[in-house]
Amino acid sequence: MNRLYDMEPRVMDDEMLKLAVGEQGPREEAGQLAKQEGILFKDVLSLQLDFQNILRIDNLWQFENLQKLQLDNNIIEKIEGLENLTRLVWLDLSFNNIEAIEGLDMLVNLEDLSLFNNRISKIDSLDALVKLQVLSLGNNCIENMMNIIYLRRFKALRTLSLSGNPVAEDEDYKMFICAYLPNLVYLDFRRLDDHMKELAEMKHQYSIDELKHRENLMQAQLEDEQARREELEEHKAAFVEQLNGTFLFDSMYAEDVEGSKLSHLPGVGELLEAYKDKFVIICLNIFEYGLKQQEKRKAELDTFMECVQEAIQENQEQGKLKIAKFEEKHLLSLNAIREESELSNIETKIVEYSEDITELLNVLMMLEMQLVEQLEETINMFERNIIDLVGLFVENVQSLMAQCRDLENHHHEKLLEIAINVLEKTVKGEMDEDLPDDLRSLFVDKDTIVNAVGASHDIHLLKIDNREDELVTRVNSWCTHLLDKVHKDEIMRNRQRVKEINQYVDHAQSELDSLECGDLLD
Amino acid sequence: MEVLKEKVEEEEAAEREEAAERAERGEKTKRPMEVRRGEATMTQEMLRDLERKLSEIEVSVPEKLLTFTKDTIDTSKLPFSYQSNTLKEEQLLQVADNFSRQYSHLCPDRVPLFLHPLNECEVPKFVSTTIRPTLMPYPELYNWDTCAQFVSDFLSMVPLPDPLKPPLYLYSSTTVLKYQKGNCFDFSTLLCSMLIGAGYDAYCVNGYGSQDLCHMDLTREACPLTMKPKETVKEQEKAPPKKYAIKPPRDLTSRFEQEQEVKRQEVIKAEEENRKKQEEARLLEQENAKTDPLHGLRVHSWVLVLSGKREVPESFFIDPFTACSYSTQDDHFLGIESLWNHKNYWVNMQDCWNCCKELIFDLGDPVRWEYLLLGTHKPFLSLTEEEDEGMNDDDDVENLGKEDEDKSFDMPPSWVEQIEISPEAFETRCPNGKKVIQYKKAKLEKWAPYLNNNGLVCRLTTYEDLECTKALEMKEWYQNREDMLELKHINKITGLNVDYFKPGHPQALRMHSYKSMQPEMDRVMEFYETARVDGLIKREETPKTMTEYYQGRPDFLSYRHVNFGPRMKKLALNSAESNPRPMVKITERFFRNPATPADEDVAERVFLIAEERIQLRYHCRSDHITANKREFLRRTEVDSKGNKIIMTSDMCISFEVEPMEHTKKLLYQYEAMMKLKNEEKMSRHQAWESELEVLEILKLREEEEEAHTLTISIYDTKRNEKSKEYREAMERVLHEEHLRQVEAQLDYLAPFLAQLPPGEKLTRWQAVRLKDECLNDFKQRLIDKANLIQARFEKETQELQKKQQWYQENQVTLTPEDEDLYLSYCSQAMFRIRILEQRLSRHKELAPLKYLALEEKLYKDPRLVELLKVFV
Repeated sequence: MNRLYDMEPRVMDDEMLKLAVGEQGPREEAGQLAKQEGILFKDVLSLQLDFQNILRIDNLWQFENLQKLQLDNNIIEKIEGLENLTRLVWLDLSFNNIEAIEGLDMLVNLEDLSLFNNRISKIDSLDALVKLQVLSLGNNCIENMMNIIYLRRFKALRTLSLSGNPVAEDEDYKMFICAYLPNLVYLDFRRLDDHMKELAEMKHQYSIDELKHRENLMQAQLEDEQARREELEEHKAAFVEQLNGTFLFDSMYAEDVEGSKLSHLPGVGELLEAYKDKFVIICLNIFEYGLKQQEKRKAELDTFMECVQEAIQENQEQGKLKIAKFEEKHLLSLNAIREESELSNIETKIVEYSEDITELLNVLMMLEMQLVEQLEETINMFERNIIDLVGLFVENVQSLMAQCRDLENHHHEKLLEIAINVLEKTVKGEMDEDLPDDLRSLFVDKDTIVNAVGASHDIHLLKIDNREDELVTRVNSWCTHLLDKVHKDEIMRNRQRVKEINQYVDHAQSELDSLECGDLLD
Repeated sequence: MEVLKEKVEEEEAAEREEAAERAERGEKTKRPMEVRRGEATMTQEMLRDLERKLSEIEVSVPEKLLTFTKDTIDTSKLPFSYQSNTLKEEQLLQVADNFSRQYSHLCPDRVPLFLHPLNECEVPKFVSTTIRPTLMPYPELYNWDTCAQFVSDFLSMVPLPDPLKPPLYLYSSTTVLKYQKGNCFDFSTLLCSMLIGAGYDAYCVNGYGSQDLCHMDLTREACPLTMKPKETVKEQEKAPPKKYAIKPPRDLTSRFEQEQEVKRQEVIKAEEENRKKQEEARLLEQENAKTDPLHGLRVHSWVLVLSGKREVPESFFIDPFTACSYSTQDDHFLGIESLWNHKNYWVNMQDCWNCCKELIFDLGDPVRWEYLLLGTHKPFLSLTEEEDEGMNDDDDVENLGKEDEDKSFDMPPSWVEQIEISPEAFETRCPNGKKVIQYKKAKLEKWAPYLNNNGLVCRLTTYEDLECTKALEMKEWYQNREDMLELKHINKITGLNVDYFKPGHPQALRMHSYKSMQPEMDRVMEFYETARVDGLIKREETPKTMTEYYQGRPDFLSYRHVNFGPRMKKLALNSAESNPRPMVKITERFFRNPATPADEDVAERVFLIAEERIQLRYHCRSDHITANKREFLRRTEVDSKGNKIIMTSDMCISFEVEPMEHTKKLLYQYEAMMKLKNEEKMSRHQAWESELEVLEILKLREEEEEAHTLTISIYDTKRNEKSKEYREAMERVLHEEHLRQVEAQLDYLAPFLAQLPPGEKLTRWQAVRLKDECLNDFKQRLIDKANLIQARFEKETQELQKKQQWYQENQVTLTPEDEDLYLSYCSQAMFRIRILEQRLSRHKELAPLKYLALEEKLYKDPRLVELLKVFV
């Protein structure tokens, strides 16, 4: 770049920004006002900083509501410092020295991006810009045609310019873009005609079809994953995730070294199978019961919310009615006071009027208090019911878990029996089959084998206990959270309403006061 | 007259006897006096009185009667079945006579049956065969109500020649439809035919009706059109209270006081009702003051529709004169002698002491209804009953069986032709397309469509009094109007006119209510808002205000109210257009715009133009009960140094529910105010445009009222001039095409072939000769034609020369008129000569070509081509 080398690079400081804001702010009468008051950076919607010899983007964090930013014709080398400008729609960074696209991940509202005349060689890091419509990348160093495929993800992209890049030299350049970006309307500031598009499509049909197929596959995979995740979420909300299969059972044996060794004993295999079947059935029972209970809880919560909403709505309507009535009267009486000339009359009227205001306050407050009482009762009822529901759920799950434990105990006894039998046999040397070496090592004496079986049993019980504990704690904490939130919401609502009423009444009173002052002055 | 008198006396005597008998039998039935008032106590004086009254009644009737006697009917064109009886019909008549004899023997105190009156050809026909069930091709006539309405509209009523007896003649529906008039029997026969054809279980009834019924007198009936449809009060089902529904606050009012209040209200209400009732009773008495001396004796015929078929839930009567339906318990129907359909005839054996109220219409019950023919499809009442009877009386059953054999033959097919109504007649409906019905305090006039050139089809006038002198209001229905006017409602007392329009008015007008067509008066206009770009629903005007209601606008405007001040006195030539009234206040309301937050979304803005103030009220947030307010004073003031004050904080007073930082800024307020100023301008402009639009609509309405053009459907081939022309043109074109084709098919060889013996194959020599002859002939024709033209040319030239010669000789003595004549002759002659010359030269040019063409054609002619091939 051969421009502006002789000038010093400048820093984006407050002064520069203030100057720019002031210059670009409102004009004439409004400008005078603006000068009087000063403009806050966060109120600025559009900012122009071209030909300022800026090297580094900085100091822009205050411009929260900025929608249009022009930084063209500077010597910027890196895109940075734009993280706070989330409302940005229009960004111009043309005629700079940028080498890579970066730092745009927060600009989700961006629709128009210009990076014309820079040193960019690769199109990427634009994933966050889902609303992108116009992209200008002319006069850069993009060489690889495959960069264009990256642009397929921008469904709203209508205008693209890439002329002046090495890639545009390619004779297939236009066709390729037409084929791979069928939604594009303007390329290099020219409209693409339909005929051209058809031709391009025909030419690149095979590769596009393949690409599309791959994209579809990806999409389907993503959707699948999404669905699975959602399902799991749902199960988690019911606190019975991964109980609809052998997961718990498998986890019991995952860390159980002795157990897997022991499963090689004769007869244990069948025993294990039967045990697994029964165990899984109980797990499934828990799972289904959990889902059912979840639905019940949800229905309960929904009715409660609906009723509370209705009550609040009704109350609000009443309040609005009261206020509307008051306002009507308010206008009339204010006018009457204004027009009255007799001082004594004015005073009586003012007194009357302030009585009205107090009455309004009383009425509104009474309504609110009434609602608070009603809601409190309802909330208490809901609390009782939901606690009952949760309690029932926990109880039932615990009894089902106890069944699991029974099964485990039973299995343990059987296993012990077999183990002792085998031990006896080995001791007597009647053992026909060959046992694996590590298993054989257990059958040294009775204590060893009993310990091994016992250890396995302990692990299993621990797993079951853990799962049960987890479920119970989670459901209880959910319950407390929910109730907390309900209470808190209600308190918030109440405070807000009281504040609102007071504010309104204060306003009415102050209006009256100002009138009084005016009258007295007159 | 004498005969009638005697007859009446006889009847009265019979009645008296009957009454006496009944008394003897000890029937302690308390007859209501209304039904047969004073029959038993008829004295000689009363009879005389009656005579006098009767003669009065008779006086008015004869002219009418004369108009529809047998003499006026042209019987010569009627089919044969009308003029004679078939064998089966003869047999039926005998059966009927036999039945009649037995009946008169068994019930000597009853009037003879109405069985086989004469038809228009003086032939006795059984009543059932006069019914000709026909399904009409018009879908409008598929239901009983429209069917009855059609019959009552289509025919004009002729009273019975003798109000106390059934008529001697019963004409076929063909004749009745042709002359469009008839008595009640004609009416009910026609209606019954149509109803049975449409699938109803309908019967003609011969019975006794009230005077109003028999004279088609509706003056004591309220018009059905004036009755308001009963509002069906649908009680919204209250959803059962939900589980967590809040409890209502405790009611702290005294229940005792409430009860006392309710009691007091009830007492007041009861008093009022009492008064009302008394008033009504008094009115009723007045109305009923005139009672009919012949009550219960007047013969009438109507139609009974039994339940069962066509989903009729309950049996009912239709009066064919008025097309009204009545329940079978109605007071107007005083008794039934007999009834019949196209299959059978039943005689009523039940007692009609209490009108028709206690009659049971179970025609299968032989005790209540004596049938004429057995073996019809009416099922018996119930099987068990019949069996019981059978057990008790075996003989009876046998007898019945025998009778069965004797009489079991079907009703012969109807002698009447199928009922036909031409589309024109169907559309015209009423005789001459016009009908007037007088109701109680109302008059209904009907016209056929297109009869009135302003499209009026129906007019209902309601009156304040019974004599119909003071009109209350008028409703006029229109059809086929180009301005889509449908109904005009004129209130005579308030002078309020309301016009209703169908969709399609050029200004999308739906309703227009006004007192005068002058602008700036009270008026309401409603619009079809979907047809308008600006979504206007309604515009109300009073002399000082204009209110507009909108729906579905992109700027969410819902309401605009404009107050006008008094007009400035400026110039003499003030019109509403050039000098609009100044606007004092504009109030606009908006729907909630979901795209913006509620506390920035204006709900109402008021431009107080005179006070230079603007008031804004914002929408209320969903969880709040108060809304933002803002008031701008847009007075431009000057400070002490003479500088203009742009904006100060007291120029904008605002109340915010949740105070925000940026709205406090003067800049924000200034910008808001500037925007509002612009919007005020816009609103004023729009209000002004609305005013203009009103003027325009009024002008348009006046023009439309004056022009009142009617639209004609493109499917209406009879009236649609354009399509008619087009069709005729098409026909003409077709005809010409046909002629040309005929010409083209002319065989140029035919005259030559005719000379040869037919059927033989041509030899080559013959073919060659044929060809040569044909060509020669054609050559001759061409030469002849040339000669003819030449001859004419020469003749014209000679004549012209002669004339010129004559002119030159007499040039001096000629009058200017003669000279003019000569000159015009010359120019015409010259023209003719030139044309002839042209024709000749053209002929010379074309003749050889034509000749060659013919030769070619001959060579290619399929009949000659084989034989001439060699020579080519």
